[in-house]
Amino acid sequence: MTEIAIATEKLTRHFGALTAVDAIDLRVQAGQFFGFLGPNGAGKSTTIKMLTGLLAPTSGRMELLGLDFQRHSTEVKRQIGVVPEGMGLFERLTGIEYLRFVGRMYGLDRPITEKRAEELLDFMQLADREKTQIADYSHGMQKKLALAAAVIHGPRILFLDEPFEGVDALAAGALKSLLGRMTERGVTIFLTSHVLEIVERLCSHVAIIHKGRLVAQGSLEELRSGAGNQAGEHQSLEQIFLSIVGQSGAEQASLEELTWLT
Amino acid sequence: MADVAAARLPGVLEQIALVAGLRWRIFKNSVRRKHNLWDLIAMIWVAFFSGCLVICVAVLFCAGGYEFVAKNSLTWFALLYWVIFLWWQILPVFIAGFGSNFEFATLLRFPLSLRTFYLLGLGYGFSDLAAISSICWIIAMIAGAASARASIVPVLLVVSLLFVLLNVTLERLAGSWLEKLLAKRKSREIFLGLFILSMVSLNFLNPAIRKLGPGAKPAILHYLPYLWWTPGSLAGKTISAISIPDAHGQLLGIGGLLAWVAVLSVLLWRRFAAQYSGEEISDSPRPVTLRKREKKQAVADEIPGLLAPQVAAVIVKEFRYLTRNGFAFISLIIPPAMVVFFSLQFGPGSPLKEHSIKPAMFFPGIMAYLLLILVSPAYNSFAFEGKGIQTYFMAPVRFRDVLLGKNLFLLALIVMELTLALGVLTFRVGWPGTPMFLATITAGAFALIGQLAIANWSSLSFPKKMEIGKMKGQRNSGVAVWTAFGVQILVGGICTVILLAGRWTGNPWLPPIAFTALTAAAVGGYVSSLSAMDRLAEAKKELLIETLSK
Repeated sequence: MTEIAIATEKLTRHFGALTAVDAIDLRVQAGQFFGFLGPNGAGKSTTIKMLTGLLAPTSGRMELLGLDFQRHSTEVKRQIGVVPEGMGLFERLTGIEYLRFVGRMYGLDRPITEKRAEELLDFMQLADREKTQIADYSHGMQKKLALAAAVIHGPRILFLDEPFEGVDALAAGALKSLLGRMTERGVTIFLTSHVLEIVERLCSHVAIIHKGRLVAQGSLEELRSGAGNQAGEHQSLEQIFLSIVGQSGAEQASLEELTWLT
Repeated sequence: MADVAAARLPGVLEQIALVAGLRWRIFKNSVRRKHNLWDLIAMIWVAFFSGCLVICVAVLFCAGGYEFVAKNSLTWFALLYWVIFLWWQILPVFIAGFGSNFEFATLLRFPLSLRTFYLLGLGYGFSDLAAISSICWIIAMIAGAASARASIVPVLLVVSLLFVLLNVTLERLAGSWLEKLLAKRKSREIFLGLFILSMVSLNFLNPAIRKLGPGAKPAILHYLPYLWWTPGSLAGKTISAISIPDAHGQLLGIGGLLAWVAVLSVLLWRRFAAQYSGEEISDSPRPVTLRKREKKQAVADEIPGLLAPQVAAVIVKEFRYLTRNGFAFISLIIPPAMVVFFSLQFGPGSPLKEHSIKPAMFFPGIMAYLLLILVSPAYNSFAFEGKGIQTYFMAPVRFRDVLLGKNLFLLALIVMELTLALGVLTFRVGWPGTPMFLATITAGAFALIGQLAIANWSSLSFPKKMEIGKMKGQRNSGVAVWTAFGVQILVGGICTVILLAGRWTGNPWLPPIAFTALTAAAVGGYVSSLSAMDRLAEAKKELLIETLSK
């Protein structure tokens, strides 16, 4: 039987009167490249924050690699890597210093930390920035460094919140290859991105969240067959996404009003 | 197609009004966003205090204007102009706080002509406290002078008008250059460091004047006339020419002021023109050169020994942050510098010989003063983490280890500072005797460790974000300040009672013994508090991330 990497049960988060995430039941199998989609404000980042320990759920359960997050948070954190929304970097360190710091925080010994840090910086093409503080990195470089920090300890689950945003095409290609190789080795990747083409190309399974509720979950093929595709024609993920989330009539009407622009 | 032609560009006055409205809305929203009541109270207090200051000084200027005209001592107007000039030019440097507030150049995205941009920039210069207060004082000075002799008003008005124009142009020019200088992180930190150093050195002005005063006065009086060409002296000279009367002198003075305004305006125009043409002043990453990093032996980036790797990693990170925080790094010289200052003022051989303090009092007093300064960062120890705070929550690390690392680093820093300061004190003031020395050391240990548990609680419960290289708004939250204040009064009170008990009982060894026992108890309390901090950090997780990642 395939191992379940991520499982949530009625996972909910309220912010005052707002329900950001409403009783979602996620199931992600080990080794899957899983895309988590939704419009702005749907609850994607809130869900990732809860799954990575950055935000406490209001109610519900989360199990990662068979461990209850609340009860075994340290053990779970040891096995996951995260590129959070704001990247979470210590901006006054240099890239190598930050990777050394993160390696040691994850309990790697010094020589291994050093070796991996150098290899990752080389791979991310950040090696020549030895003395540059992270604050002086461009956005794309910071993203690459955050990704390097997320994998330095060899995690079994990798959470990526918009990992390719601001990353140049060359580096993005290399990163995609790396992530593909990681899933081949059994690493689970949980990815959110607004670029549906990337998700479609990389992910085997997808879940869609809308207004805090999980509205679809399954493999891409399952979503295609379930998205009102009677004619049997091949639908892109964007078409599936729009058909599930829907473009409201109000938006169409608003567009009609912009005659002075359109 | 979009109907661009239908849009009418607003005039200069309309645009100035729009920018003023924008500034007002930014201010209103910043007040509305204040979650912390203490910040709002502080703001009201500063506004009230500033208002009182402006009114009181205006009364003095009015009285000065009247007196100088009534007694026909018009030369003294130079003094009034000099005060205004220094205030107008120096205060904005303090208020700017070494960080950008409202980036004036962002207005360039709108369809403005260079002339409008220049006028807006100049108009912007009239909206700060220095300009408003200076204009109030000039008006008060003119009113005072007019009530003594109305005939002086026309010349005074012309000179003052030119003086205002000169000041606002110079202030905008200096501000623009400063903005360019401070846009780069490194230069901002160096500038801030130099600024702190100059502030510290001001403390030595009084002892220096006392020592050099008699000799310095004739030298100053000798060189003062050579400053005739400076704005303050020029304005004063023009006014004093009325009393002779010397029309030629008046015209020359007004011409001089006009020349100042013209030169500064040209320079300011050139600065604004550079901004207008899209000058890039901020830090931007250099182009990447794809080069393999040379494999080399890792720099010793680890603390060997018994510490857990997580604790050691936090200590190394704290050290790196200290060395990159120009303000914090340079302020390390303040404690020994202040010891030198206090010993000059109150030590043996000071001018206040009859009030000089004995070494036995100096040691605990200085220790208390230094701890007051040095422990304060512990009450907001996550201030500089920024978004990095998320790393602590993502990593498999207990918060007790993070706090332990931070506390150990602070402890090491304070021990180093105190050793240096007490060494300087022994050299300058003398040895206080072994019992008092030990009492001071043990009292310091108790006062420091006794505060750490509460400081950690404060750091987790009332975090406030700070940014390296900025001065404005770089203070702990109101509650953290009051907590630190209360704890320090309590700890200081306990220490004072024990030191006095040693005197009353005539037993000089009582304080060191009592402080050693208290230190042992404080260490026990601190260690047992660490587990509670783990739970508190989890409970305050969202507050910390939200506050520090903003």
